[in-house]
Amino acid sequence: MEDKRHKRRDGELDRLLAQARQAPPDISEVERNFETRVMARIREEREQQDPWYAWAWRLAPIFLVLTLLLGGWSVLFPPVHPDDPVATLASGTQEVALLDYLTGE
Amino acid sequence: MCALGVPVAVPDEDADLVRSAIAGDDEAFAGLVRLHKGAVLRSASRFARNPAELEDLGQETFLRAYRDLRSFRGDAPFGHWLSRITVRVCYDALRKRRREEKDVSLEVLAAPVADPSTENGPSAQHARLILDRAMARLKPEDRLVITLYELEDRSVREVAELTGWSETRVKVRAFRARQALKRYLGGDDGR
Repeated sequence: MEDKRHKRRDGELDRLLAQARQAPPDISEVERNFETRVMARIREEREQQDPWYAWAWRLAPIFLVLTLLLGGWSVLFPPVHPDDPVATLASGTQEVALLDYLTGE
Repeated sequence: MCALGVPVAVPDEDADLVRSAIAGDDEAFAGLVRLHKGAVLRSASRFARNPAELEDLGQETFLRAYRDLRSFRGDAPFGHWLSRITVRVCYDALRKRRREEKDVSLEVLAAPVADPSTENGPSAQHARLILDRAMARLKPEDRLVITLYELEDRSVREVAELTGWSETRVKVRAFRARQALKRYLGGDDGR
């Protein structure tokens, strides 16, 4: 009796499996433009994997503004380069005089 | 068709595309996806519950392939290599969702299957539904084996190659999976 029931279930399972084999799931919808979506995800993942690279691009405008500000600063406030050698000597003499005064000489 | 049921009519084309993709040519990898998406999605569809899940499984398979492309040695066709990745991805997905599917009840679905008076049996779609529900109760490794062996009609050797298991393990798993399926379909779920 048990054996008969066992065999019947075997037959039922085989029938189900055979029918399921004959009806493969429909993949046409997912298949459409699938490669486009895969490549988009690969690009997305690649960006996430390179934070330094991504950040460098994001920080580029800030670096540009900083460079322009420094450039403007250097034009508006140029460093002092005295052309008069006497003035240079004088500024050196002042320092010597101050040193003499402080040391009492 | 090759031994594993994957179309590899133009292996040279695959090899060229793989080389170009490794060199950084995105269009070459898109070409590989275009060539193999059918086989990958067909195989993954046996494990997916809906189109969204199928999309995820397919994308994950190609993402892993892209990441590991340098490890492809080319001693076997690209399609075989990709099939193994597909199986691994689907197996991982089965294990992940194991917990949530554990409590699916088969009581409603057991009746039409157990009814021997049904002349033509359930329709193909209905058969799939009944099987899907019953297979959701199987352990992930049992479900993997029964899908590859029974539904995809692959040989024990092919299943062993795809899963990386021994042929003996595949046979034992297939036998146990069948026994469990019969139990579930017969209504005695062994709980």
